[in-house]
Amino acid sequence: MLNSVVLTRRQKIPLALRASTFVLGLTVGFLVSCVVLLMSGVPLNAIFSEFVYQVFFTSLGQSQTITTATPLILVGLGAAAAMKLRFWNIGIEGQLWFGAMASTWVAINDIGPENIRLPLMMLAAVLAGAFWIAIPVFFKLKYGVNEIIMTLLMTYIAFQLVQHLLFGAWQDPSTSFPVSAHFDEAEKLARLGWGNAYTGIWIALAAGFAMWFLVDRTRFGYYSNAVGLNIVTARSTGLPVTAVIVISVLLSGGLSGLAGAVITSGAEYRLTQFLAHGFTFSGIVIAFVARFNPLGIIVAGLIIGGIYTAGETLKVFYSLSEAVVVLIEGILLLSLLISDFFKTFEVRIRNLKGN
Amino acid sequence: MEGFLINWITTFPNFAAPLLLACMGLIICERAGVLNLGAEGLMVVGAMFSVMIIYSGGGILLGVVGGMFAATMLSLVFGIAVVVFRADQVLSGLVVVALGTGITGIVGRAYTHKPIQGIEKFDAGALGDIPFIGRLVFEQDPLVYVTLFIVIAGWYLLMRTNWGLRLRAVGEDPATADISGVDVQGMRLVAVMISGALCGLAGVYLAVVSSQVWVEHMVAGRGWIAVALVIFARWNPIRAIFGALIFGGAESLTPRLLAIGADVPVYLMNMLPYAITLLVLLWPYIRGRAASSAPSSLGHEFLRQDRH
Repeated sequence: MLNSVVLTRRQKIPLALRASTFVLGLTVGFLVSCVVLLMSGVPLNAIFSEFVYQVFFTSLGQSQTITTATPLILVGLGAAAAMKLRFWNIGIEGQLWFGAMASTWVAINDIGPENIRLPLMMLAAVLAGAFWIAIPVFFKLKYGVNEIIMTLLMTYIAFQLVQHLLFGAWQDPSTSFPVSAHFDEAEKLARLGWGNAYTGIWIALAAGFAMWFLVDRTRFGYYSNAVGLNIVTARSTGLPVTAVIVISVLLSGGLSGLAGAVITSGAEYRLTQFLAHGFTFSGIVIAFVARFNPLGIIVAGLIIGGIYTAGETLKVFYSLSEAVVVLIEGILLLSLLISDFFKTFEVRIRNLKGN
Repeated sequence: MEGFLINWITTFPNFAAPLLLACMGLIICERAGVLNLGAEGLMVVGAMFSVMIIYSGGGILLGVVGGMFAATMLSLVFGIAVVVFRADQVLSGLVVVALGTGITGIVGRAYTHKPIQGIEKFDAGALGDIPFIGRLVFEQDPLVYVTLFIVIAGWYLLMRTNWGLRLRAVGEDPATADISGVDVQGMRLVAVMISGALCGLAGVYLAVVSSQVWVEHMVAGRGWIAVALVIFARWNPIRAIFGALIFGGAESLTPRLLAIGADVPVYLMNMLPYAITLLVLLWPYIRGRAASSAPSSLGHEFLRQDRH
């Protein structure tokens, strides 16, 4: 049966087709998500009110969405930087943990003068995130080790390291909970005076525009596009393929690490046990929905941030598990992956009598 | 010390069995050319649904079968996406993990932390009293022996039957298999569903034998360890047995040490299974044997029109 379908790869994909399959994919994804929510006992008008009105059209909801979206935009940019070059960074959470640990280390040990403390924390986080991905990059390029498994396993190792610190050396002596000591005022990102939103959003937006400039306006961006499209051709035209991959992937780890510092210094004000949870998949979904376009990632980050915010509300009012967020993300990604089929291939049903 | 060693080694099969089951499923799937990264999600689904059925009074057998069935259905979604719609296999695998986590998070909320009557170990009587090997060989739970049987049967099916030859041909060179009359897409769908069933059984094992309770995050990365184990085993079921015993041994060390009251850094010890997996994973690559053992068409979609 499956063999009577004839598929032809499209040589050119018209913009209208690109747009319509994308819209179709998103629409189906959201519809299926609605059905799942209905089935879990959330009434239809509540779905609209929680997922659209409350999170995007009320001041409180908007500020919460922006707060949640801040680290999401950063991990989305990080995921895109690596995925674009066909390097699968499935260890975003691990790099985020390392960024969070590095910023906390700077903060609780009072490294450097207070007026440059925050920049130091950010820098330490970027370097730590880049370090944690440098190991899989090295083994991938030198020995061809599968980076999917390696980045992923290193996430679990990073998480256990955080646990080790939080239940040991870094535990806040004034509490029995596994959290680090509170940061000082000089180590906190300022609030915007609008809900919980904090200046981290400027960092995320700046990173988004910087990435856009890098990808769209520089020679490096041109090279990385070429490597992402066809590595063999890029290599045979003499492009510095290895350097492009190393720089992009380290950038991916660095951005993920930065997201960790933004969370510790802007949202939690200390290192906690679960702050990195779910960021790997969210980052990948955001990057994929935005088709790796840095400005699109800002928009996608805000949308996913809204879904997170709504998920929190559903958890409180409908006692739904927070896993509903990852489920919606999964449905969206699957729907987009399948709709891409109609973009990539021309589908015909073979005439059974003829050829 | 001797007592500790025997107690420790006796627990190896219990920790190795779920890894081995998932790994066996993944080997069949990858041998057909489909990279299935969804093991973690399939295991979660198997674990949760089996507990749900048993807790609701369905009985153990129905629980085991139901858990496997649920995971197989999820793998079918993955199979349709990657085989029929040619979706990216890596991303689709991650989708399976997300769907599995999401579904079990929502449905399983009502069954969290509710202990069930699971499967117990055999009491072999006199056989169990044989020094050193008695408890190791004769006093495991029934699923350990089923696992061993599945792996050996799987090896035979894959390496010694016509069906296995066709399946491997699909993974090595789908175009040639297609010309010889093998239904490439049908074969791949079947392989994906087998991996779903076996990963589901691995999850069932964790829930019904090991913990006898459902808790979110209880699979804790074992699905990913199984994915790594496939590479370590170089896509050979028999080698996977040794790999699973190594990883299972590393995993069971921490609870054993805690049981005798040893003062060890718990969280650093918890790193051990992942760290050992990582180190062991590097080995075939550094020796240059991983790439040459991988099925040639692993991760690539098949399109008859692409034949050349």
